[in-house]
Amino acid sequence: MLLEPDVKFIKEIESLGGDTLKKCFQCATCSVACPISPDNKPFPRKEMIAASWGLKDRVVKNADIWLCHNCGDCSTLCPRGAKPGDVLAALRMYAIKEYAFPKKLGEMVSDPSKLPILLAIPFIIFLIVGMVCNMFVDPNWLCFSPGGDEIVHSHFFNSWLVDLIFVPLSLCVVAVFARGGYQFLNDIHQNAVLEGKTDKKELDLLGIAQAFPKVVLKILKHEKFDQCGENQSRSTPHMLVLFGFIGLFIVTSIFFVVLYGFQTHGPYSQFNPVKWLANISGIALVMGGLVMLKERISQDTSKQISTYKDWSLIGLVLALGLSGLLTEMTRLGELAALSYGLYYIHLVFVFCLFAYLPFSKLAHLFYRTLAMTYSEYANRQ
Amino acid sequence: MTGGFFEINSCTDILVEKNSPFFTSGGFYSKYSGQCGRNGHYKKCPFRPFSPLNSLYCRLEWVVLLLRGQNNFLSKRYILQAIERDSMTDKATPPVSANILVVGGGISGLTTTLEAAEAGYEVILLEKEPSLGGRVSQLRQYFPKLCPPTCGLEINYRRIKDNPRVNVYTLAEVENVDGVPGDYTVTVRMNPRYVTSECTCCGDCEKASKTEIPNEFNFGMDKTKGAYLPHNMAFPQRYVVSPQIIGTEDARRCKEACKYNAIDLEMESKTIDFKVGAIVWATGWVPYDATRIENLGFGRYDNIITNMMLERLAAKNGPTQGKILRPSDEKAPESVAFVQCAGSRDENHLPYCSYICCMASLKHATYIREQYPDTEVFIFYIDVRAPGQRYEKFYDKLKNDDKVFLIKGKVAEVSEDAAGNITVVAENAVTGEKIRKTVDMAVLATGMQPTTASVKLPADLNYTDDGFIINDFEKGGMFATGCANKPADVVTSNQNATGMALKAIQTLVRR
Repeated sequence: MLLEPDVKFIKEIESLGGDTLKKCFQCATCSVACPISPDNKPFPRKEMIAASWGLKDRVVKNADIWLCHNCGDCSTLCPRGAKPGDVLAALRMYAIKEYAFPKKLGEMVSDPSKLPILLAIPFIIFLIVGMVCNMFVDPNWLCFSPGGDEIVHSHFFNSWLVDLIFVPLSLCVVAVFARGGYQFLNDIHQNAVLEGKTDKKELDLLGIAQAFPKVVLKILKHEKFDQCGENQSRSTPHMLVLFGFIGLFIVTSIFFVVLYGFQTHGPYSQFNPVKWLANISGIALVMGGLVMLKERISQDTSKQISTYKDWSLIGLVLALGLSGLLTEMTRLGELAALSYGLYYIHLVFVFCLFAYLPFSKLAHLFYRTLAMTYSEYANRQ
Repeated sequence: MTGGFFEINSCTDILVEKNSPFFTSGGFYSKYSGQCGRNGHYKKCPFRPFSPLNSLYCRLEWVVLLLRGQNNFLSKRYILQAIERDSMTDKATPPVSANILVVGGGISGLTTTLEAAEAGYEVILLEKEPSLGGRVSQLRQYFPKLCPPTCGLEINYRRIKDNPRVNVYTLAEVENVDGVPGDYTVTVRMNPRYVTSECTCCGDCEKASKTEIPNEFNFGMDKTKGAYLPHNMAFPQRYVVSPQIIGTEDARRCKEACKYNAIDLEMESKTIDFKVGAIVWATGWVPYDATRIENLGFGRYDNIITNMMLERLAAKNGPTQGKILRPSDEKAPESVAFVQCAGSRDENHLPYCSYICCMASLKHATYIREQYPDTEVFIFYIDVRAPGQRYEKFYDKLKNDDKVFLIKGKVAEVSEDAAGNITVVAENAVTGEKIRKTVDMAVLATGMQPTTASVKLPADLNYTDDGFIINDFEKGGMFATGCANKPADVVTSNQNATGMALKAIQTLVRR
């Protein structure tokens, strides 16, 4: 077999946090140290050699890099400091970029110097779309002097305006994921057949759909995460953040239905059970984010490093949670100008969450779930 | 300055030896890469050593040093020293302290001692244990010819006995080293043996003793009495009373049992100063502490032993009289797994390759195959390192043995079942399958750590990060040999020890 090493790929993996890659001498300690690696073709030893040989397709189009939960047990026992955990994290970041579209945006999301531009985009879009709409509607959808006795955020930034921006945005994200996800499923299936990791010949989408509920339950319970040794302490904050997001997703959906179905506008009473869920979710998000931040700051960098993508995701989680909660608190504290300003900032971060989701580390939500579902379907245990 | 040049020309021969780039193109040769030895480049050359660029740089630097008055090749003191040295060698008589001190009586120390003594020099050999022989005496067989250690060691002991120029001190430890090459004062602590030369090894004291002490020679797998012979081929053949029983009733019992009045409980430790010209450190190695490799279960599971323990089990004078039995129930093992690189080539333990463990495990496989023809041997490795043709052939022989299985993949997890069997887990990196192999007994191929890793010697020596002594041939006077210098097998140690005998002699002769 003729190998064609992709040197650029190797360099890029090294720049994405996998700079220890070449230290690996294939002792295979990692595959045994990993608590969640399967017995048949275990990872990450084979990923380490494929990556250091520049065999891009072998690793990027591979479900195994997603089965890894970055426990760090492999890196702790690694006799060479090759940090397979970090290398797999870098490979995942590469894969996210590979499957997302447009590529240009993917590059911007992974470049710290582009962060101001990325934050400015929603800021400006809101202004422009708001101003344009203002020309046609009265009262204005983006009103900088809403007045009134009560602070009502939709008087400042109309719900119609929010949905006018976020509904199409969400559809775009869904389209990007659908495209990437379909490609991804086909690729990982081909790879699994090639490496003998599955007993399935053809990719059966129905079978995958059937495996999905089981996997969702596993993810919600953090079953895999809890098998981790080194980074088990990350399981709880991860759960808080995940459930925070799910809670907020439910709240948003309910309010969306209430708004369009029953024409009931916010703000809602603090005694409303949905509001309780919203508050609890917001607090969970912030708490989880803070613990993650603490874990990342205090971790032993000789065993595991944190990259820009790790920091930016934690930053986004905290920014979302804090701006949301502060908006609510300033509203209750009747600080109108501050509250409206914070609401605007909160919307900027929500936009970032949606728009950059397919390109950021958060895309693991999609690809890991898909890879785990595929593995469940492919009987890879 | 012109005068200086004249003086230099008058003793060019000395300076040629001394790496002045103007007089020699080669310079000081070093086996370590990145050093040319010119202008004091003993640590690192600015460019690739011996490359044209480096040669040019060395010459320029030499001139710069000269202009700045820092060129020691031209300094008056240096030249005077050189002339003095020259005249000294002319007399062809060694200086006053023409003794060589060898510290450590293992195979390296014995070799240096005998090579120097048989070349006509006085050698003092110190050993901190009660017997010479070191690690080799613990083996069942040793490479290259798989001789029992009695073979090589007894020849050396014979040579020591026959040579009046060798003075051996056992139970001796160096406390302090003062002085310069050619003139060292070494303070040595002589620990008491409590047994005099009257001892005939009758063993009556041993029978009388009621104390039992874990036998370190057998890695604690059996016990010795309060008075004991270190092992059956101990040299000197003399009993020793353990300091642990001194002052007890047991010591008195031993003394009373001795018909020859050879036990002297009043013996005290004392310090002696030796004047020597050169010192060779042959302080050897210790097996890496396997309990520190937490994921390999040593110390937690009875049937996981180390390679040196297996040597003792296989040795006729060992705790099982040469029968390889697993520790938990003394059962003859029907399957044995070897875990290579247990602690070696591992940044969390010993970052270097210990050199001997691959060959040791292959040799152990032959012990097991000889004793139990049906027992299966599984060797889990990263790479099998069989350096040289002879070792390669040995490896080939084992590869073709249908009961020996070599599996590429390091064991990273072990467990024990109720019957005491051990399951080792590794990924076979060739097939990509995770293997869980249950065996009767597992042997950790632990590596060697220099004794100087934990406690540094009381002398002005440089060490690697791992504790090996770095030989500074430029400074001279003190040299490390054998495993004090690097992980090595017996063959390499002996070659190295012979070389260091020569280095020590050169220090005395100063030629």
